[in-house]
Amino acid sequence: MSGILKGRAWVFGDDVDTDLIYHNKYLAETDPRNMPQYSFEYYPGKESFAREVKPGDFVVAGRNFGCGSSREHAVHCLKEAGVPVILAETCSRIYYRNAINNGYPVLFVKGISSAIRDGCIKDGDELEVELETGTIRDMTSGRSYHGDAVSDLEREIMSAGGLIPYLKSRRKEG
Amino acid sequence: MGRTFAEYVLGRAAGHPVSANEVVTVEPDFCMSHDNTGPISRTFKRIGVKRVWDPNRLVVILDHGVPAPSSDHAINHKEAREFMRGQGAPHFYDVTSGGGVCHQKFCEEGFALPGQVVIGSDSHTCTYGAFGTFAAGIGRTEMAAAWATGAIWLKVPESFRIDVSGELRDGVSAKDFILKVMGDVRSDGADYMSVEFHGEGISAMSVAERMTLCNLGIEMGAKNAVCKPDRKVFDFIRGREKSSDWEALWADPDAEYARALSYDLSGITPGVARPHTVDNYAPVESARGVRIDQAFIGTCTNGRLEDLRDAARILKGRRAAVRTIVIPASWEVYRAAMRDGTLDVLIDAGCVVCNPGCGPCLGAHMGTLAPGETCISTANRNFKGRMGDKESFIYLASPLTVAASALRGEISDPREVM
Amino acid sequence: MGKTVIMKIMERASGREVKVGERVWCGIDWSTARDFGGASCALQFDEITEGRGHVWNPDRIAFTFDLQAPSHSEKVSNNQKTIREFARRQGITRLFDVNHGIGQHVLLERGLVKPGDVILGTDSHMNLLGCVAAFATGVGSTDIAASWLSGTNWFRVPETMRVEVTGEFQRGVSMRDFLTMLVGGLGAGGMDFLSVEFTGDTIERSLLSERVTLCSMVTEMSGKIGLILPNGPVLDWLAERAGPEVRERAAAIAPDLDAPYTEVRRYDVSELEPMASCPDAPDNVRPVREVAGVPVDQVHIGSCTNGRFEDIAAAFEVLKLSGFKVSPGVRTIITPATREVMIQAARAGMIERFLEAGVVFTNPTCSLCTAEHYGALPSGDVGCSTTNRNFIGKVGKGSHTYLMSPMSAMAAAVRGVITDPRDIVCQGRD
Repeated sequence: MSGILKGRAWVFGDDVDTDLIYHNKYLAETDPRNMPQYSFEYYPGKESFAREVKPGDFVVAGRNFGCGSSREHAVHCLKEAGVPVILAETCSRIYYRNAINNGYPVLFVKGISSAIRDGCIKDGDELEVELETGTIRDMTSGRSYHGDAVSDLEREIMSAGGLIPYLKSRRKEG
Repeated sequence: MGRTFAEYVLGRAAGHPVSANEVVTVEPDFCMSHDNTGPISRTFKRIGVKRVWDPNRLVVILDHGVPAPSSDHAINHKEAREFMRGQGAPHFYDVTSGGGVCHQKFCEEGFALPGQVVIGSDSHTCTYGAFGTFAAGIGRTEMAAAWATGAIWLKVPESFRIDVSGELRDGVSAKDFILKVMGDVRSDGADYMSVEFHGEGISAMSVAERMTLCNLGIEMGAKNAVCKPDRKVFDFIRGREKSSDWEALWADPDAEYARALSYDLSGITPGVARPHTVDNYAPVESARGVRIDQAFIGTCTNGRLEDLRDAARILKGRRAAVRTIVIPASWEVYRAAMRDGTLDVLIDAGCVVCNPGCGPCLGAHMGTLAPGETCISTANRNFKGRMGDKESFIYLASPLTVAASALRGEISDPREVM
Repeated sequence: MGKTVIMKIMERASGREVKVGERVWCGIDWSTARDFGGASCALQFDEITEGRGHVWNPDRIAFTFDLQAPSHSEKVSNNQKTIREFARRQGITRLFDVNHGIGQHVLLERGLVKPGDVILGTDSHMNLLGCVAAFATGVGSTDIAASWLSGTNWFRVPETMRVEVTGEFQRGVSMRDFLTMLVGGLGAGGMDFLSVEFTGDTIERSLLSERVTLCSMVTEMSGKIGLILPNGPVLDWLAERAGPEVRERAAAIAPDLDAPYTEVRRYDVSELEPMASCPDAPDNVRPVREVAGVPVDQVHIGSCTNGRFEDIAAAFEVLKLSGFKVSPGVRTIITPATREVMIQAARAGMIERFLEAGVVFTNPTCSLCTAEHYGALPSGDVGCSTTNRNFIGKVGKGSHTYLMSPMSAMAAAVRGVITDPRDIVCQGRD
C-alpha cells in the first residue's frame, strides 16, 4: 500500500446509498468477482461506470458514502473492479467496517464534499494519492486535499489484509 | 352418426354443423390472458388496429408474479393495466384481494360457461372444460390477432373418450386418477384431440375435482378436455355468470372417437409423476422414502378449498417435517379456508401460507428450488428446472400425498398417516 | 465520570473498563445471518477453515430467512440451501426457515434477546433490538464469519446522544411520525456513529411495537444503536419470554446520572402532525398534508419498522372508518412481520376484513424492502410504504416512494391519493 497511486476520479455526491452502489436486485450473488458489473447501475448519470471504470480509478464521494444496507457487495464490487481506495468526506459505519474487514482502504477527506458541490473536483480529473500520508493531489485542477489515516486497530487489520487474516494471525500468536 | 362435444360446440359457434378435421372460424366468447398481456398488447399495436374488437370479451388476470417480484414483472403489470384502461376493458383483475390464479379466478367469476368457446394465452386454459366449455390455450401472437379481429380459426379436433366408472377409495383423489391416465396415455397420446370424460365416476366428482382433471388435459397434448355440464356446474355458475348466452351441450352416445379408454376408479391408488416428465407415472409405493426438501400445495391444478382441506386433514395437530408452502388458488378460496379454520391448522403445522398466485410453480418466486433439492408438488408440471435450478427434482402428487410426505419429510402413502 | 448504557454493555461484553472512542473486543451473545448474506458468511467460514472448522458456539448462532421467503429465484434458493446445510453440519439448531418471518422480530418473540446482549446480524436494521436495550448491529459477512471463528469482534465505543420525548400523540399521529420528523430534522448523517438513548414519558409509556419502530430507524440517521431500557408491560412481556433475569440485566445497564452525553435533545410530540419521507430520501421530510393529493399506485404496510400487530391494527382502524374499502386504483399490500403477528391478525378477524376490502395479505417476510420480492414498482409509479428506505430506484427503477405511518399509508390506500389520516380518523370529532 505504499507509494503514489495514480488514476482518474469518478465523482459522486453526498449520502450515496448502498442501492446506488450495488442494487438489492443482485443480492443473491455470492461471488465477489461477479459483482463489479452491477456497480452504480442505479446512480443517475453513472450508469456507464461498470463498463468504463479502469483498474486504478478512484471513487470520490461526499458525506455518508455507503449509507443504508449492510451488504458487503457494495465494497466487493468496487474492490474487484480495481478501485484502489475510496476517497470520501465520511462514510457510513457499516460500509467502513466492511471495507476495513476486507483490507480495503477508505480515506476520510476533509472538505471534499463541498469541493464536489462547487465543481472543484470533477469526473476524469487525474489524481495522485499517497495512502501513507493521506495526501491527495488533483493534477487537473492543481488542488490538494488531506485524508485522515485510520486508527491503530484498523491499520493493523488493514495491514494484515483484512479481518480474517488478522484474526488468524492473532490466534497463532495467542 | 352422432356428434362429439367439440363438433357441437364449434358448430354452434360457427353457425353451421361441423365435423372433425374441418377448419372453422369462430368468434371467441372470452379471451383470457395474464401477466403476458403486456407483450400481447405490443404485438396488437403492431397490427395497426387501435381498438380491440370487443373490450367486454377480454379477461385479464394477473397471477404469475403477484405482487410483482421484480421491476420487470412490475413493468409488465403496468403495461397490462394501462392497456386495459386505454381500451375501456372492464374485466381486469389487478393485484388485489379480488385476484387469484387466472384459471381459478376465471371460473369463479363466471366466465367459464357451458357450450361457449374460450381461448386463453396459457396452456392450462383447458381447465374450463370442467364447466362444459370448449377452452383451448393459444399463443401470444394468435391472441393479439383475436383481439384485433374477433375471430380465430380452429381445426375441429378429433375426440378421445375416457369412460370412468366406480368410486375413489379413501385416501385417493382425482389427481391420482389423472396421473395414472397421463402415465397410460403419455404426454403426446392425446395430441390435438378433444378429451371427453364420461361416466358415473365423473358425475360423482365435485366441480373442483373435474377442474383438476381438465387442467391436466394439456399434459397429454390435448387441445381441450371436458366433462359433461350438470346440476353441480349449474349451481356453481348461478349468480356468477358473465353471459347469458350459454347452452349445456354434450356428445351423442353414438359419436365417433379416434381413441377410447375406460377406468374403474375403485382400482386407483395414490400415485406420483416422477421427474422430469408428467407421464413418468408410478404408484406411490415405488417412490416411497424419497427424501424431500420442500412440499408445495397450490396452483390451478390443486389449490382449491377441497385440496387445502385434504392437506389439513393430514396435518391437523401435527408438524410438517420440511418446509411446506401453501398457496390458495384465489382469495375466495383463501377466505373460505380462513373461515373454516383450514388455514389455522396449516399454519399451526408450520406451513407458509402465501397470497394467492402461481407462486413457485414456474420458478418465479415463493419457493424456487436450489440444485439437488427435491420438491413434491400438487402442480401440473415437473419439467427439468421448472421450479428453479435445473438440477432440482419435482414429484407431482395429490394434496393428500403431498401433505403426508411433508409430514414425514419423504414421499409417503397418505393412507398410512390418515 | 459516569457511564452511558452502551458503555456498560461494552464493559460487560469486553470484561474491562471502556472509554469513549477506544476500540474494544467484545464477546458476542448472538451472531446471526439471514438468507441474504448468510450464504456468504457460511462460504467464507468454510474457506477460512478449509471446510474443517467448527464455529465457536453453535448455540449462539441463529439463521433467519426473511428477505426473500419463500425464495424467489434459483440463486436465493441455493443460498438458503447452503445455509441449511452449513447449520446441519455445524449443529446449529436455530434456523428459522421461510415460515417464520423477519429475523429480529422472530428472535425477540422467541425470547432469545436480553438487555445488554451484543448481537450481530447481516441486516442493517438489526439495531432495532435496541428496543429492549440489546446492542445489536448490522455488519457484513466478513464480520459474521470472523465472529463465528472467535466469538468476538471489535467495536469503537461510541459517543451517546440522549433524546427525551414527552407528550401524547394526537389522534391520527404515531411514533412513526415522530421518527420521520426526527430523521428530517437530523438528516441522514445526524446520528453518525452515535449510540442514542431514548427516554422521557412518551417513551416510558410506549408499546414494544412503537419502540421497535423508533430503534429501527436510527440506521437511517447513521446511528450505531438506539437504546430503550425496558420497563412496565414491555419488561413483563420480555421476562415472560426470555426469563426473569432480564429484570436484573436491564437494571445493570441503566445509565449513571453523570453519564457523558455529547448532546441532549428534547422533543414534545403533543403538537406533532402526520409526516412523510418524500422521494427519494428518508430525510426529505414534509408534513403529510403538504403532499396530500398526490395520486398513489401502490400502498405497502409491513417491514421490520412497521409490521407488528399494532401497526396492522392501526391501518385496520383507518380502513374501518372508511367503510372497509380501498380505492380500486391502488394495489394495497399488507405483510405481517412474523407468523405470530399473522395469527394474531387472523384471530382478531382482521385479515378477513382486509381481504374483503381488496387488500393483498402476504405471508410474513420483508416484502417490499427490495425490488426482488412482493410489490416491486414499475417505472413512473408512486408508492406509499411503511418501510424504512426510499432511495432512488430502491423498489424499481424510475419509481418513487413516500414513507409514512401505517395510518397515513392506509389513508392513501382508501382515498387513492396521499391523505392526512386525521381527515379520516378525526371525522365527526371536535
